[in-house]
This record gives sequence, structure tokens and C-alpha cells, in this order.
Amino acid sequence: MLDSPKSDRLFNLLNTLQLILAGVVVAAPTVWMVLSSFKQSYEVTAYPPTLIFSPTVSNYITLSQTTPFLHYGLNSIIVTVASTAIGIILGTPAAFAVSWTRVTWPAVVALVARMAPGTLFLLPWYIMFRHFDMIGSYWSLILTHAVITMPIVLWVMLPFFDNIPHSVFEAGQLDGCGPVKIFRRIALPLVSTGLAVSSILAFVFSWNYFLFALVLSNSDTKTLVAASFNFIGEGSTNWGGLMAAATLIALPPLILAVVVQRWLVSGLTLGAVKG
Amino acid sequence: MEKKDNTRLELASLSLPALIFTIGMIGFPFLYTIWLSFHAVTPAQQLKFNGLGNYSHLAADGEFWHGLFVTFELYFLSLALQLIFGVYLALLLFRSKRLPGIVRSLFISPFLIPGVVTGMMWLVILDPSLGAANYVLSLFGLPPSEWLASPSWVVPTVAIIDTWQWAPYVALIVLGGLQSLPPSVYEAAEIDGASRSKTLFRITLPLLLPTIMTATILRSVDLLRFFDLIYITTQGGPANASDTLNIYGFRVGFEFFQFGYASALMVTLSVIVLGAVLTLNRLRAAVAW
Repeated sequence: MLDSPKSDRLFNLLNTLQLILAGVVVAAPTVWMVLSSFKQSYEVTAYPPTLIFSPTVSNYITLSQTTPFLHYGLNSIIVTVASTAIGIILGTPAAFAVSWTRVTWPAVVALVARMAPGTLFLLPWYIMFRHFDMIGSYWSLILTHAVITMPIVLWVMLPFFDNIPHSVFEAGQLDGCGPVKIFRRIALPLVSTGLAVSSILAFVFSWNYFLFALVLSNSDTKTLVAASFNFIGEGSTNWGGLMAAATLIALPPLILAVVVQRWLVSGLTLGAVKG
Repeated sequence: MEKKDNTRLELASLSLPALIFTIGMIGFPFLYTIWLSFHAVTPAQQLKFNGLGNYSHLAADGEFWHGLFVTFELYFLSLALQLIFGVYLALLLFRSKRLPGIVRSLFISPFLIPGVVTGMMWLVILDPSLGAANYVLSLFGLPPSEWLASPSWVVPTVAIIDTWQWAPYVALIVLGGLQSLPPSVYEAAEIDGASRSKTLFRITLPLLLPTIMTATILRSVDLLRFFDLIYITTQGGPANASDTLNIYGFRVGFEFFQFGYASALMVTLSVIVLGAVLTLNRLRAAVAW
């Protein structure tokens, strides 16, 4: 034993102090954004910046009255929920089939789709949707966002199906069930945690995705993230309003992060940390 | 035998919807972009076969080479910062005995915030005249910076913002690796009387290399196609100083509507990303234990 208990205690104390400092650095910008959103216009640009102020919700009221924020919010919800649903409906049975057959090409294709720059797909999509006169439609956004959600669902669900003991499937087969029946009756109920985690991850990534809506939406179907550009234009004179918009856009992913933090990390690495 | 065919058929039917979707939305567009990259779009919106014309144009295009340089400058700077701070954070988290859920949520929060929101908040924080960042610098007696408004500082600034957002992600991956290291190696080191720094540099970090490589691959994919944060904050400026390949390709495609040339740029960028991933994957296999 080289380290005495006393130096151990000092080491732990230093470790905790550094961790607190790191926590402050990680939290500060987000906290500053939220604080600024509750400041009066003269306080938000005060220099030196103030930490103590009388909070106001006027920025939020102005935002909902002078911009179509609520309308964009509804667009975001429509696109995100629908693309998450499509991702789950397509990705879950595919993950089950991959887990059963060990034929991995769908998973590999999904991975390549995740690696290619979005702009690569955006050009042909733009031409395709223009051809069908679908630019600015919800469907163009929902389908393209499903390209984000489906690979996430596939990769997150895969280990959950892999973890089901094979004897469970064999027992089902002896009872005369085919794979479809086994998937519906036996496997799906066993992976409910996986379904929750993959839905939430798909939701967050679809909600956050910027590029596709930037090109494929119009002023009526714009998502919040794509509309953020408008808020910046106005924000050059109105930081309080800009930070109120930023806070509201970040809120759904942040809330979901707290809910699923335990499973989130393994899901986010798409199973890459195994072994 | 008939039963086995049925099983196979049913399994195929389970992945069929995903397969059709993949062909329609990923496979076909992918090939179409490659095909487009060998064509020129005439002013009348007609496609004309152009052979390797777009690619030879690319080789002679100064903006392409500039974009390539900016892409890799930003890539190496961000990756280095994120690995250093990520591993450091992971060690801090690993050594603290209790990790309340709230701490975990805190370290998850930056990378779940949309990239555009990150851009919005840092635009305000880094404002050259009224931003909080320059005030914090002044508290330490440091001179103010122009941050995103300075051509020479914009790439490091974007790298710093991206590190704030993604170093915690690297940290959580590395923490997973730390937690899966066999405790026996530490016990052996302790019995041998190895000091803390020796244990860290001779044992822990080498054993962590595969996990660090995983984090490197995942970050490389995002960093090489850097888009959201730059588009929101600088749009490639000031004076092209943060014009990554992805930003440049987007502009050529959707602002100048040169679909053929934009396709060539996008195919090139995809080859770079894919090449980097394959190379790094080889490296990971080399450090595996």
C-alpha cells in the first residue's frame, strides 16, 4: 500500500472539486440561456452581465404573439411523432429478423445511411419531391426524417432481441408458431424497454434534425429547428426573445434526457461499445 | 422442408417494409447522386452527360481545397479537444464513488440539445461587445476576443463550442469502457506498488484504447460533415474562414443550384468519411486486446 488513507481522502476531495468545476462549465451555457430568456430587454444586454434580476415571462408572451412559434411547434410535433412511428414500425421487425437470421446487411445499410452526409441524399430527394410536387409537404419531411429514425431503432432494438434466450423462440416454434407470430406474441412484449428507449432516441434525433427541413419545408410546414434561423434574424435586436425560443426548442429533448438517462448512453453509441 | 421455407418467407416479410423503404429513400438516392455527379445541369434544367467533368472542375476549384482544409483543421482540433476533455471527465466520473442520476442527466444535456440551439446560445454568449464570455475573460485580466466574428479565431471557436457539446458524450462512452475493465488489473498494480500516475498511463489508458477508438470513430463521422452549428452561427464566414466541405457543397447545391457539381462534392465528402471510418476501424482492431 503506497497511498495512505490521508492522501486517499485528499485525492477524493480534489477529484470531487474538479468534478464540480466540470459540472459548472457543462451547465453554465444552458443555464445562461434559460436565465436570459427571463430577462427584460434592457437587462439581457447589460454589461457587465447580471446574475440577479427580476424575472419576467414577457419574452415568451411576445414570442407567441409576434411569431408563428406555436404553429412551428405543431409542425415539429407532427413530423417528429410521425417519423418516430414509421421508424419503429419499419425498424423493429427488421431488427427482430436480423437478430434471428444473423443476416446483417440491413444493419450495415442503416449504418452507412447514418455515416453519409445528409446533403448527399438531399439532392436526389429534392429532385424527387419536386417531381411529385411534394416540396413543403409534411410527407416529404416525415419520410426524410424516418431515414434518421429507422437506423436508430434498428440498432437500439438489436441487442434487446439478441438478449432473449433462444430457447424462448424454440419453444414457440414447437408450439407451431412461425416467426411472425413469435415476433408479435412473444418477442415484442419482452422488449418493451427497448421500444421505449428507441422511441425516445428516435424522437430526440428527429426533433433536432435541421438540414432536411431547411430545404424541404416551406413557411407553412417549417419545423421549430428549421425556423430558428428566422428567430436569429430578429434576435440581433432581441436577445431575450431569441433565448426564449432556444429554451423552448431545447426543452423536449432535455426532458426526455432526464427520463431515460440510464439507457441513453448505450443507445447513443449504437451498440458500438460492446466488448 | 416446407416448414423451413415458411419460416424463411415469414422472416423475409418482417424485414420487407424496411427493405423497400431503404431502397427507395437511401439506396436509390445514393446511386442517383453518383449518377448526377457525372452530369451537368443546363440552364434549361436538362441533364447533360459530362463524364468526369465535375471531378476535374473540383480538382481545379480553389474553394474545394479551401473547404477540405477547413474541414480537416476543424476535425483534428475538435477531435483532439474532445478526446482529451472526454477522457479527463470520464476519469473524474469513474473515481467518484456515487453518481446521482442528476449528475448523469447534466452530462447528457449538452449533446441532446439541438445543434441549432447550441448555436443560438453561443451567439449570445460570444457576442464580441456584450457577450458573457468576454466578461469572464476580463475577470481573469485577459483581453476580449472577437470569437466567431474573427477569421482567424472562428475555427477554434467552433471547435470549442463543439467540444462543450460533445466531450461529455465521449466521456460517457469512455466511462462505459472504464467500468468494464477487470478490477483484477488494478489490484495487481496496487500489490506491485504502482503509483497512481503509473497505473493511469501504463495500465488504464492502454486498456482503454479500443473504447477511445470507438469514440473517435463516432465523433469522426459527425465532425467530417460538420454543418448545423456553422450554418446557424457563421454560414461559413467571416470571409469563407469556416467554410467546410459540407457547407460549401450545400451552397453549390441549394443556393447556386448546380446539382451536378454539388453531387460530385457530396460523393467526394462521402468517400472521405467512409475512408476515415474504415481506416479508424482497422486501427481499432490493431489496439484491441
